[in-house]
Amino acid sequence: MIKVANLSKRIGEVQALDDLSFIAKDGQITGLLGPNGAGKTTCLRTVFGLLQADMGSAEIDGIDVAKSPIEAKQQLGLFPDPFGLYERLSPREYVSYFAELNGLSRVDAKAATAKVLSQLHMDDIADRRCKGFSQGQRMKTALAQAIVHQPTNIILDEPTRGLDVMSTRVLRDLLKELKAHGHCVLFSSHVMQEVAALCDQVIVMAQGKVVAVGSPDELCEQTGKDSLEDAFIHLIGTDEGIAA
Amino acid sequence: MISNIMTMVRKELIDAARDKRSVMAGLYYAIGTPLLMCGMFMLLIGQISSPEDLNIKIENGERAPDLVKYLSSQGITHGDEQDKSLDVKDIRLIFSDDYAAQMAKGLSAEVTLVADNSNEKLQNSIRRLEKNLQTYSAEMGSLRLIARGIDPRVVQPIKVNVEDQATPDSKGGVILGVATMTMIYAVFISGMNLAIDTSAGERERNSLALLLSHPVSTRNIVLAKVLAVTIFAMLGLLLTLIISKLSYSFVPWQELGFTVSISTNFILLMLLIGLPIAIMAASLQLFVSFMAKTFKEAQSYLTLVLIVPMMLSMAASYNIAPDTLQWLPVSGQQQALIAFIKGREIPMLQLLLSSMTTLVIALGLTFAMEKSLKSEKIVFGL
Repeated sequence: MIKVANLSKRIGEVQALDDLSFIAKDGQITGLLGPNGAGKTTCLRTVFGLLQADMGSAEIDGIDVAKSPIEAKQQLGLFPDPFGLYERLSPREYVSYFAELNGLSRVDAKAATAKVLSQLHMDDIADRRCKGFSQGQRMKTALAQAIVHQPTNIILDEPTRGLDVMSTRVLRDLLKELKAHGHCVLFSSHVMQEVAALCDQVIVMAQGKVVAVGSPDELCEQTGKDSLEDAFIHLIGTDEGIAA
Repeated sequence: MISNIMTMVRKELIDAARDKRSVMAGLYYAIGTPLLMCGMFMLLIGQISSPEDLNIKIENGERAPDLVKYLSSQGITHGDEQDKSLDVKDIRLIFSDDYAAQMAKGLSAEVTLVADNSNEKLQNSIRRLEKNLQTYSAEMGSLRLIARGIDPRVVQPIKVNVEDQATPDSKGGVILGVATMTMIYAVFISGMNLAIDTSAGERERNSLALLLSHPVSTRNIVLAKVLAVTIFAMLGLLLTLIISKLSYSFVPWQELGFTVSISTNFILLMLLIGLPIAIMAASLQLFVSFMAKTFKEAQSYLTLVLIVPMMLSMAASYNIAPDTLQWLPVSGQQQALIAFIKGREIPMLQLLLSSMTTLVIALGLTFAMEKSLKSEKIVFGL
């Protein structure tokens, strides 16, 4: 479970987060939906402790990230944007490295890596160096890194950006599987279809604030619109920065 | 946790070993520098040790067989211009027609030296020839005085005695200084590219933020990086020492009266003394690179920063700085190494103190780095 309470953060002149609060529950896929510049990435970076909030707190499974960062992050998997691959390592080495950093022994890390690589159908590229990988292959590598240690909570920052249909489907199926296994999945996006298709709960963000919370259907109901897209535009009051 | 430091160090080293740029940077230095040094020393020794034969053109030599014989005993002979293998200098020595007659009469016999005095390259040869002619002339003068029953000392009111106090050791001081400096410098050069790659490079590739989001303390990340760069630097040093050991044996040291032999003991001492320097070099390079926004920027900063240890080392080898300098990092250790090669007692207090200072600086930089990695500005390069 990821809980964010009254989070505020100023970056330079911009109030990136403004009294932001929400909860992402276990066994659910929560979408953080907002136009470009709404503060989605800032919010996620604060959750995994890279940024310090001016006010408020972020908790992972009840542990405050700012107070005990290491313990909190142990229950967290991160799919960042951009991916941050080590080009000179193979996916097997890369994933296994991060598994070890998350506290797995060398042997366990290798076993877990082998498992997740075959789960993502990556066996053919598992021992090639990441340099020269396609966007889809990169995405899979980053995804394997995020879930190899079986964290209860998985955070994905703009996961479908730049992916083709096949890769998007792989990702979508995996997220559903994680949800079925009771994981808490939180992802940010500005792509309507993806959010509508996947999310149990949508948190609509604009200018660092939560504008509305609810399932895609509930949001449509609240606003009296037929599609999530119309509901979203109604909620944030503009159609700027939205991809249909 | 120690285990995750080891995990990170292992990964950094694998990553570095696959990075051609990092490996080549270390290799070029470790292999190239000792060989360059050897070449330089050979040239240097060739110049200071016994001069080569001087071949000049002697005209009408048959008129002064005694002087020609004297000159050839000093290594100055007539060289045939047709003989291409000889380096015949453009200096002509001409004996006048009445040379033998004048000599026999006890008068001044004329010898003409024809050469281009503005030619820098000929200066040494001309002076050598002149000196020998004067010596011969003085000797003949003395003999003439003795023949007339006069003590030749009458015409030598002052007798100058020159005592050269330079020992073979002190003559080699500069050479030793340069040799040890290049070895110490290996520690700075070998790890440099890795240091940039794992800091500024890591941020440029966006993996720094990812690494920091994992449950690893910033301190461990910094320690692992320092350790990895140190290991790389020490490998560079070891390689430099091995190449030096092999190549220095080809230098004709005996002509200088002393030897620079890279003994196993010296290698061990160098590695021991080099370790704190390597740690300092690693933390310094990482610290500076983290401050830079990009790989390129880090490279240009580091080039500037690396002048400092170079200066310290130069100051130590040329004795141009005050004694306090012997207590500073790099120069302190270098003094100890030079003392060891010269077979003197190692100044232990100085060595310990400068090694301690080195480690304190390294520690300070490491802490500063740990702190800077908690700053959003550094992590995201804002």
